[in-house]
Amino acid sequence: MIKYIFRRLLYAIPIAFGVSVVCFSLVYLAPGDPLQTILPSDASADTIAMVKAAYGFDRPIPIQFLKWLGRVLVGDFGESIATRRPVLLEVSGAMSNTATLVMFAVPLSFSLGYVMGAIAGCFPGRMLDRAITGTAVMGVSVPNYWLGIVLVIIFAVEMMALPATGMGANGSTAFSVFRWSDDRFLVLPVITLSMVPIGIIARTTRAAVAEVLNQDFVTTLRAKGLSEFAVVRHVLKNALPQVLAVMGLQFGYLIGGSILVETVFTWPGSGFLLSKAIINRDVPVLQGTILALSMVFVATNLLVDLLQSMIDPRIRRS
Amino acid sequence: MFGITRETGMTKRSTPSLTGRIFGAVLGGLLAAVPATLHAESVLTVGMTAGDIPLTTGNPDQGFEGFRFVGYNLYDSLALWDLSERDKPSDIKPGLATEWQVDPNNYRRWILKLRQSVKWHDGCPFTADDVLWNFARVTDKDAPQFFTQQMALSRTYVTNFESVEKIDDNTVAITTKVVESLFPYSMSYLLMVSRCRAEALKYDWAAYANAPSGTGPYRFDRMVAHERLELTPNKDYWDPKRVPKHDRLVLIPMPEAATRAAALMTGQVNFIEAPAPDTIDRLKSAGMQIVTNKYPHNWPYTLNFVRGPMTDIRVRRAANYALNRAEFVELLNGLAIEEYATMPPGTPYYGNPVRYEYNPEKAKALLKEAGCMPCKLTIAISTSGSGQMQPLPMNELFKSQMEAVGFQIDFKVMDWNSLVEIGRSGVPKYPEIDGYNGSRALLDPLSALIKPVWKIHWSPAGSNWGHFYDPEIEALVGQILNDFDAEKRLTELTKLHELENDRALMIWVVHDLNPRALSPKLTGFVQAQNWFQDLTPIVVHP
Amino acid sequence: MAQSPMAQTMSQTAILDRSPAEGDEQVAPALKVRGYWASVFYRLRYDPVTMFFGAIVLLIVLAAIFAPWLAPFDPYRESIIGRLKPFGWKSHLLGTDELGRDLLSRLLYGGRVSLLMGVVPVCIATVVGGGLGIVGGFAGKSVNTAIMRTMDVFYAFPSVLLAVAISGAMGGGIGNGMIALSLVFTPAMCRVAETATAQVKSLDFVEAARATGAGTLTILRHHILGNVLGPVFIYASTLVSVGILLASGLSFLGLGVRPPTADWGLMLSTLRQSIYVNPVICALPGAAIFVTSICFNLVSDGIRAAMDVRM
Repeated sequence: MIKYIFRRLLYAIPIAFGVSVVCFSLVYLAPGDPLQTILPSDASADTIAMVKAAYGFDRPIPIQFLKWLGRVLVGDFGESIATRRPVLLEVSGAMSNTATLVMFAVPLSFSLGYVMGAIAGCFPGRMLDRAITGTAVMGVSVPNYWLGIVLVIIFAVEMMALPATGMGANGSTAFSVFRWSDDRFLVLPVITLSMVPIGIIARTTRAAVAEVLNQDFVTTLRAKGLSEFAVVRHVLKNALPQVLAVMGLQFGYLIGGSILVETVFTWPGSGFLLSKAIINRDVPVLQGTILALSMVFVATNLLVDLLQSMIDPRIRRS
Repeated sequence: MFGITRETGMTKRSTPSLTGRIFGAVLGGLLAAVPATLHAESVLTVGMTAGDIPLTTGNPDQGFEGFRFVGYNLYDSLALWDLSERDKPSDIKPGLATEWQVDPNNYRRWILKLRQSVKWHDGCPFTADDVLWNFARVTDKDAPQFFTQQMALSRTYVTNFESVEKIDDNTVAITTKVVESLFPYSMSYLLMVSRCRAEALKYDWAAYANAPSGTGPYRFDRMVAHERLELTPNKDYWDPKRVPKHDRLVLIPMPEAATRAAALMTGQVNFIEAPAPDTIDRLKSAGMQIVTNKYPHNWPYTLNFVRGPMTDIRVRRAANYALNRAEFVELLNGLAIEEYATMPPGTPYYGNPVRYEYNPEKAKALLKEAGCMPCKLTIAISTSGSGQMQPLPMNELFKSQMEAVGFQIDFKVMDWNSLVEIGRSGVPKYPEIDGYNGSRALLDPLSALIKPVWKIHWSPAGSNWGHFYDPEIEALVGQILNDFDAEKRLTELTKLHELENDRALMIWVVHDLNPRALSPKLTGFVQAQNWFQDLTPIVVHP
Repeated sequence: MAQSPMAQTMSQTAILDRSPAEGDEQVAPALKVRGYWASVFYRLRYDPVTMFFGAIVLLIVLAAIFAPWLAPFDPYRESIIGRLKPFGWKSHLLGTDELGRDLLSRLLYGGRVSLLMGVVPVCIATVVGGGLGIVGGFAGKSVNTAIMRTMDVFYAFPSVLLAVAISGAMGGGIGNGMIALSLVFTPAMCRVAETATAQVKSLDFVEAARATGAGTLTILRHHILGNVLGPVFIYASTLVSVGILLASGLSFLGLGVRPPTADWGLMLSTLRQSIYVNPVICALPGAAIFVTSICFNLVSDGIRAAMDVRM
């Protein structure tokens, strides 16, 4: 077991390196000059050259990558071109705000999705199953940013019951989950964000449960005289590894894919930071954000793999 | 979780039981109609179109909106803009310099008298040495206070600056590189920051950004990066009439127009910039005040005079005759006025320019005469931006009107920063672009009329994007800059405006009317005819 | 001659024609596949839900293809006077948008772009990713490791993030959007194909084929491909709706097609400001995305059930 964990960890390193190469090279795919965010439209050419040298853009690209990697490994992600704040600070602040959203979206969507899927899987083909499957499909098919806009119109503008935008009445640094005046801001984004994971997890759970129910050992358990409730418990436990894999992926989706929801609700999370960095061509922030988000995803996948193999030792990825 | 501390709230903790939560949800919903502020203070909360909080380290970014909400609130410049009147065009007035005049023996030298008894927010007194220190901060690479970012942001205003010297404790003298009678206008764009504070922080500008100190009517209170900037009144401001009449100013970046409207209607903010024209009716029915005023703003197409169809004056005139500007105003729900020349009517040097009234037949005839059929144009536009109004629908309308008379328009669409880059680099780098659609601020005659036609400003050295040159106009510019008689200069500026209009220098479309939406609880706002506005007189009623 | 157990488990009612003749490999797989597919269609015919939504998908696709003939108005013709008009105004069945263009025509034309941006990346990913996966699964150790580890690097990014990052870095536009989405889907397709290939490759009948002297390409073509296509096709069909949603998301963020091109995601974004003037009109593009996505989802679910393949 330990050997497997060790091997799995070791395997994550080249992945992480590959991710960093991709991150770094992404930002050089683009046309456009990262300095234009700080220079006014009528700056002269020698001004541009002077500022470029000061920020270090005049070196060849592979050298830039190695220097960047070296700094990243000691935690120095550089400074944002636009604000001169350390990128690490920007990214960690933004990610903790996204984490606040995810902290609520995960329990909501995972538990709701799992329960719905389990019920549907236990009663396949019946009305309940159809209703739940139908809801799950709708959740997966709706463009979540559209849903967000609709919810804002209904609940914020028309009913004036919830706020339309932002994180907290006094900004994200003063945000406290224990205050309703701040929690109000969570309601709509969390609901919007949860729709897709609920759908996917419900469908996966349903499929897994239905499949497990067809296996022989279930018949054996029933023949043994176990109560239906106990049988269900066994079934759910066996269905868990498959669902876990999907949950891990969905966690990654929530962390990395919140950009659309955060844009609609102006939630100052990592997705919003990313979209701003793209618009401003703020290269250090762009690289730092993508790197941080994908590292979280890599770590999540690693964890899920380990968890899966612990629960079901038959599963061992090579 | 990630090592970020959270401030504890002012209210007591509630037990997070499920029923409590549900009750809270319902009750919170009912109570939410009341703007959620527990302070007894009056708070002016502004939703800006900027994508982020403007820089607080001196000259701001985010275009002139940065000056409007942060720059001129935290800081002053040597000359300030008079923002007190609605019905007169806005001009500069004394700021940290109480008077200025050119040295009669040397027209390149300006003598400025400095204001007395002014204190920085940190308590240090404002002195002549501070002025020298500030100029060095953005021009002298060897000075310890030199700051690259500020140099980049201020460079265009000190192009003609050569040196500054202290004459005595109350007077300084600035020397320019060439004679420029309009130089005082440039002085209004350079903000003065506190040497005391910078030295106390040992020139750590990142730390300074969180603890800025200026002489302006507001002091820095608190900033949450990317989310909000909170300013409080400077009770010791040197102009007692401009001490803010509210207790707190909160600035929130909200680049999406729909979000701004929603935030205003839910009470999260009580002042928004540039509401989308289609939201105006809804805002009005929710009781909001919509204020507009003309201001020196231009929404044109800046043209290529090196190659392409636009080098022919007949084609340029045809383009101007092709536009039905009334439809643009309709598209914008009345929030614009038709534009036939660079300046909006009512400007002192407006004069009597040609009105290129909508005349598609004349346009077609001109194109035929010029032999440009069909007339292919490549135009660069942006998706949003400071002063760009509603660029996408407006450009679609532009295209359909131009194509109706025989043009063929191909758009290069990009984000605002990319368009700004094209504007800065000019035709040498982008020869294939026939025109670009960037809004123009026309605050001072130099920026408005002279830079776009002056030969030494040929891009990329300056803002003459298309390399326009006309000997009569060039001679007139030289005259204006050497003329220190304000009245005579006014006549010359008027002639320049008319000449530019006659040469169809640009394709003119509309002037923005600078719409803003205010909560009914706000009174006292006077909307000046300027890109900058004075927020200090606003009173926020409960 | 051994038969692929996958084909066997796939359908219990399949009519499996087996040609026992030696060296008759050309014939046997073809009959096998036909029998299998026949059983799939048989199942589908008695699944009313899937048939119904399949018909809708067909309608949507046909409407998109024949948009130039079906659209009552020119989707680019503006009329400032007729902005944001309600249903039925001057024979505009679904009203007009913020520039006075007919909404029905724009929805029809928008369908072309949205479907294109959803389907083309999936096709590219299927060919490229599927091809790589089959090669990897078949070739064995070192080639397999090389291919799969490279794919793992891209797999390490959440899909929305990768799509936005690539598309944003390249400057947006429909071409870059399609490239970005293809890059997002390729690793997943590769994995599916590789897993299926590896499973099949290890089975007896492949070894037997090799023992009779069949070349690599023959084995690939007749044994591997037929059995791998199933899972690959199913996975691809689930990706189409994801592709449509991702593409509309990119357009919403401004990274997709440029105006005045009609595209559902872009229409959602531009109509957002006008939501207070005519909310129903502004919801229509979102409804179009929603309906299309649901239909593709349900159809792919139905096909999967009919093919009864475990992923």
